[in-house]
Amino acid sequence: MNSTAFLLFYEFFKVGLFTFGGGYASLPFLYLMAENYSWFSHEQLTSLIAISGITPGPIGLNMATFAGFETLGLLGAFISSFALVLPMVIITSQVFRLYRKFCENSYVKSVLYVLRPTSCALIASVGIRLFYNLVLKNSFIFSKIDYCGLFLVILLFLLTFKLKRDPVVYMFIAGILGIIFYFLNII
Amino acid sequence: MQKCGFLDIFKVFLKIGVILLGGGYVIVPVMKEELIVKRNWLSEDELCDYYCVSQCLPGIIAANMSILVGYKLAKFKGVIASTLGMSFSPFVSIVLVAHFLTKISSIPFIEGLFWGVNISVIVLVYLALKEMWQKSIVDIFSVFWFLLILVLALLKVNPAYLIISSIMLGVLIEVIKRRKNE
Repeated sequence: MNSTAFLLFYEFFKVGLFTFGGGYASLPFLYLMAENYSWFSHEQLTSLIAISGITPGPIGLNMATFAGFETLGLLGAFISSFALVLPMVIITSQVFRLYRKFCENSYVKSVLYVLRPTSCALIASVGIRLFYNLVLKNSFIFSKIDYCGLFLVILLFLLTFKLKRDPVVYMFIAGILGIIFYFLNII
Repeated sequence: MQKCGFLDIFKVFLKIGVILLGGGYVIVPVMKEELIVKRNWLSEDELCDYYCVSQCLPGIIAANMSILVGYKLAKFKGVIASTLGMSFSPFVSIVLVAHFLTKISSIPFIEGLFWGVNISVIVLVYLALKEMWQKSIVDIFSVFWFLLILVLALLKVNPAYLIISSIMLGVLIEVIKRRKNE
């Protein structure tokens, strides 16, 4: 148990250190954890993302707390959220003194110019993997595709042109449809 | 500016943490209301600067902003107070929800609910991406770099390596630019 606690701390310290551009940017790291350790499954990870979007607090912090809780209960939740904010506390309070110059610095600008597409690509890779896991059911065989899932993804995608970016709306629609599909016995 | 102790800072950030839904993007109006309008702890310029710096730093934007505000108000003591306050409500709400989830997952139709909600996460990830896309993908190089990293990420290269090499490339580009100008 002690080694899990230590690993959990180490992994979330890394997430805090290497996440650029908001909560969703930490997803690739959580995905890797689901693969490397038996802490939580891909399915749990997906529910974790959904729930973190609708509970109060920053998404990144919610996801870390949740992942920690799934791994080691209350202690895990504490370790992961502490480890997540620790690098920020160290780095950000150091930067405070020079913050006015920080954003105008040409090195910082240049690094961000490369980092931003990197963050986008990392988030996109998670989206593609989720699609592969949940809709294509981990294969490229036509007969295995979850067509109800495909329908739902396309429907929600089309709704993004009409609705706000508020996650709750999409989750609500998807949840209701899920229950209807369940009672129709088609999923 | 009124004097503010550990407990004052903690309480305000606790409140901000509770109001906050969805992270970085709504934090500016929330902080403006709580810190500037109600308490006059900061100037608007400072809040703008903090937002800009927080986006450039590793970690969560909302957490970085509270660390900067905390530091400004009461140095390191303020950092501890604001970070604790900000983390408190996610901690409590997540632990409660996680506990509650294991209880309800035995209800049969919940399976359908989770199926739908899980699928919707694909679209939520797409929305997060769309929001970052405009300021990130600005020229041919960024398109190329995006595709390269995407392929590497799908091949399961550790994201930490991808971030580190991006930082190094960014520094390298600037070094070369400066050499050329000399």
